[in-house]
Amino acid sequence: MRFAEFTPFDLVLLAQGLGVTIGLFLVTSLIGLLVGVLWGVVRFYRVPILMQLVTFVSEILKNSPVLVQLFLVFFGFPAFFHLNVTPVQAAIVTLSANTAAFVYVIAVSSIESIGRDQIEAARVFGLSRWQVLRLVIAPQAAAFSIGPLTALLVNQLQVTSLISVIGVMDLAKIGATLNLRTLKPFVVWTAVGILYYLTAKLVATLGARLERRLRAHSAFRCL
Amino acid sequence: MRLDLTILVPHLGFLAEGALLTLEACVLALAGSVALGMLVAVARTSASKWANRLAFVYVDLFRNIPFIVQLFFFYYGLPEIGIYIDAFATGVVALSIAGGAYASDAIRAGILAIDNGILEAAEVSGLSRRVTFTHIVLPIALRTSVRPLGSVLINMILTSSVLSTITLNELTGNARIVASDTFRPFEVYVVLLVVYAALTYLVSLGITLLHRRLNRDLQGQVS
Repeated sequence: MRFAEFTPFDLVLLAQGLGVTIGLFLVTSLIGLLVGVLWGVVRFYRVPILMQLVTFVSEILKNSPVLVQLFLVFFGFPAFFHLNVTPVQAAIVTLSANTAAFVYVIAVSSIESIGRDQIEAARVFGLSRWQVLRLVIAPQAAAFSIGPLTALLVNQLQVTSLISVIGVMDLAKIGATLNLRTLKPFVVWTAVGILYYLTAKLVATLGARLERRLRAHSAFRCL
Repeated sequence: MRLDLTILVPHLGFLAEGALLTLEACVLALAGSVALGMLVAVARTSASKWANRLAFVYVDLFRNIPFIVQLFFFYYGLPEIGIYIDAFATGVVALSIAGGAYASDAIRAGILAIDNGILEAAEVSGLSRRVTFTHIVLPIALRTSVRPLGSVLINMILTSSVLSTITLNELTGNARIVASDTFRPFEVYVVLLVVYAALTYLVSLGITLLHRRLNRDLQGQVS
């Protein structure tokens, strides 16, 4: 039992795990945002077959456990398509797709939140559909969607912990390793929990700040 | 490279066993989380400052820490303090506590939506505060929060897949075994994805019916 006790190096391990978690979270959120918004645009233009496909895929992704999606990508894809998939690649693909599915819903509802009269007025003024989307809809939809998006991202941060199951050395996996070595579950999981909690709070705070900025134009001005 | 679903036929019974265990865990955990959610919602809407704060801390913590961390905390931690329960009981407890945080928000919203006039009428009629709460506030709050509670249940079904990580052989756990027995992970997980999506779809249909039935006298106001 030489290494059974906690060592200062464990803090480095925890920091590494946190770094992996945050890094993957940022990358997958970014890809998810881009893909989700792209799907939303597909729906805005009512592209025939693509639109139904996107809706179907997003429904399936929203209504099935992320863990099963991870297993499908990590165990299923290599066996079926004869690919080499590393745990990190599987994690990025799955989490991005999952985030995209939820972003798609937010994008659709925030595009629909803008009154038809605005769009019609803009079209009458001779703006193209793309210009309407870019100049009229996008700024308002961004302000509208930032609240739900923040909630989604806080949730997705917690979902990243599942990738520890397929062997990515994220915060949860480091926790499991430390737990096995020291056999002090309360200390280890409390520390890991606090780190996740603080990160979630950070995301929520940043989201709230951004929302205030974007909504400044419609905020109540004191008389 | 051929999708051959017939290889799953001999394993259907085994998968059904797992599905049954998933449902069992979810039904028990739903009962637990609604009970816990009611208590916490009462605390959060009560006049007592301390109860209020304590309830808020509970909800905040358990919503912002990943479920897998909570699960490991209980699974490895409980034996440490001399509580020996099996994986199923641990899973149900963890799901109830995590679900309780979400359920309490749903029920709290239901309580806050009650018209003040109803409470004043109860007071004028001479009902005690306890009777007012158990016979008037709670029934109204519960039936208006059927739909949000339903989404808590759906989330719980999806989250219950994580229980496979603590050796509980529910639907996902059994599917992992089938995948490693047949060497056909792709087929297994694709089917699993569809099964979960179908399951949650059925549950959401059932909730819509229940919601409509319970609120049939309020058509037009709610729904």
